[in-house]
Amino acid sequence: MTEIVMQNLGRDFGDFTALAAMDLTIGSGEFVALLGPSGCGKSTTMNMIAGMLDPSHGEIRFDGRNMNGVPMAKRGVGFVFQNYAIFTHMTVRENLAYGLKARGVKSAEVTRRVGEIAELLQLTPMLDRRAAGLSVNILQRLAIGRSAIVEPAIFLLDEPLSNVDAAFRAVMRSELKALQRQFRQTMVYVTHDQLEAMTMADRIAVMDHGKLLQVGTPLDVYNHPADTFVARFIGAPGMNLMTGRVTGADTGTVVDLGPAGRCAVTAGQGGDVIFGFRPEEVHPDPQGPMEMTVTTVERIGARTILHLAAGPLEAKAVLDSETPVPDQGEAFRFSVPAASVRLFDPKTERAL
Amino acid sequence: MTDMTTQHMDTTAAPETPAPEGAEEKRLGFWLTLPAQLLVLFIALFPILMQVYISLTDWSPLDGIPWYRAYELWIGLLNYVDLANDPRFWSALWRTCIVMAVCVPVQFLLGLGLAILFVDDFRGKRVLYSTILVPMMVVPAVAGYMFFMLFQSGGPVNDILSFFAGRPVTIAWLSDPDLALFATIVSDIWQWTPLMFLILLAGMVSVPQDQQMAAVLLGASWTRRFFTIVLPRMKTIIIIAIAIRVIENFKVFDNFYIMTGGGPGVATETISIYIYKVTQQELIWGYVAAIALAILIVLSIVSALAIKKLRAAQ
Repeated sequence: MTEIVMQNLGRDFGDFTALAAMDLTIGSGEFVALLGPSGCGKSTTMNMIAGMLDPSHGEIRFDGRNMNGVPMAKRGVGFVFQNYAIFTHMTVRENLAYGLKARGVKSAEVTRRVGEIAELLQLTPMLDRRAAGLSVNILQRLAIGRSAIVEPAIFLLDEPLSNVDAAFRAVMRSELKALQRQFRQTMVYVTHDQLEAMTMADRIAVMDHGKLLQVGTPLDVYNHPADTFVARFIGAPGMNLMTGRVTGADTGTVVDLGPAGRCAVTAGQGGDVIFGFRPEEVHPDPQGPMEMTVTTVERIGARTILHLAAGPLEAKAVLDSETPVPDQGEAFRFSVPAASVRLFDPKTERAL
Repeated sequence: MTDMTTQHMDTTAAPETPAPEGAEEKRLGFWLTLPAQLLVLFIALFPILMQVYISLTDWSPLDGIPWYRAYELWIGLLNYVDLANDPRFWSALWRTCIVMAVCVPVQFLLGLGLAILFVDDFRGKRVLYSTILVPMMVVPAVAGYMFFMLFQSGGPVNDILSFFAGRPVTIAWLSDPDLALFATIVSDIWQWTPLMFLILLAGMVSVPQDQQMAAVLLGASWTRRFFTIVLPRMKTIIIIAIAIRVIENFKVFDNFYIMTGGGPGVATETISIYIYKVTQQELIWGYVAAIALAILIVLSIVSALAIKKLRAAQ
């Protein structure tokens, strides 16, 4: 249980800035996901927390102690690698015992603690099997167990689910979340999968091009994206964004979307804006103020995704599969509740 | 959860029995490749069978009859009986084993040490790396000549020793039976440590970096990591490297022959040198064939052991 504070943290590789200047505080016992596309600096950040990389500037503090220059073995950090880095030439038992033996723990104590953690992670039946032939979800539990047994104050997980096929991913997501509740450690989880971040993390830190764009609870980030990148990146499909113009009308403020019609908004000053709304917030409405042409209909079971276009504008709509939908090529009229609309500055792309 | 896992593994691992048409295809393949296989078998087996045949006779090229009529000089297993009672053969075999017992471990340890130094980056690594590999590229006969010069009583080795001793040193390296063996062994170590280094470095580099990182994060010291992660992961390559050097060392000839000619007396006479002498100087080829077969058997046992170890390691 340790609080991690990153202050003005940055890392350059030659001319390339992997991480610009990050300020982030991760609370004790909190599960924070660093989310972003590849090359956004999330792994760089994690490697600096672990001590595998030295920061170019700024500092990292664990519970107030400056960690710059502290070797990784002395940081009390558990690290679960992307491919788990299991010692495949050893048995499960030897893997679990490795950290304790390295610390010179007495063998009776090692046996006891290995037994305990194996029980907790349901690894007891395979303790004496060689780690080489084990399936990936056992490897994941083993990797977590091997790090957890030395009781690190901080747990770092580097895209642990990226090698897993989609069917297992859901199982392992919930397993991982349950484990975090059991261990109650501060966890930092790196991922490029917004769904993983949304389902597991207490807070999400969205990053792009070496910059921290937004930090917040999953719902916060989903509902109130700080800029257009976050709006597009979070949610599947991401938020619809179209250029429009705020004008005053008799009935209140509206956004004029040109060929797509217009939409009422709760507030806004006149001028050009980027108009955003979630595909889930589209309500079919024959009298609705917005109209776009259906280009593709995707039926994916419980939901139907409509791809819409109007002139240069494009959008997606997510509807229940029960909702009657127009065919491809037909016009689709709909409305978006004013409260669901998000407006962004067209120049800075920040939320208004 | 556990059930799911085992199922998942079974589907990927279970080898299917071949389908009937597969078996037919296999049979056709067998007949199509048979001529080539027979040719290869002939090429591989003919010299050995010929040797077995010759080794059972008293044939020599000076007898004036072609080799295939060697049965006229049939002596059965007499060559082997002679071999078993030939003190010079046994001493040559014993000496070869001593050379091997010294050279291979020293080359292994030096190679391993160098590999440890070279696994991390440092300034001038590339230049130094190429330099270290040079001895391996030198033709063994030339290496023999170089060390022949170095170990002359008025040669550089004695000059350097004189410098440190502060008085003239004139050790007759190549004329003293014990020192001659030492000098030839040094030349072999000089020449073949680079190969050991090259193979071991390749093995060491291929040890997964993240496993070593994981061990560091678990608090393992360098020594612990080396003995629990690096060495066990290099097991296969270590066995290969040692097997190569054992087999090669058994056949050691060039530098030994040029440095000492097997002498003084028989002090540096290895198996290869002994065979050479018997072949070229005494011309009793039936006997040579018997020696060669004996060595083939010894080397086959060594290879079989290495292969068995390899299987166990994998």
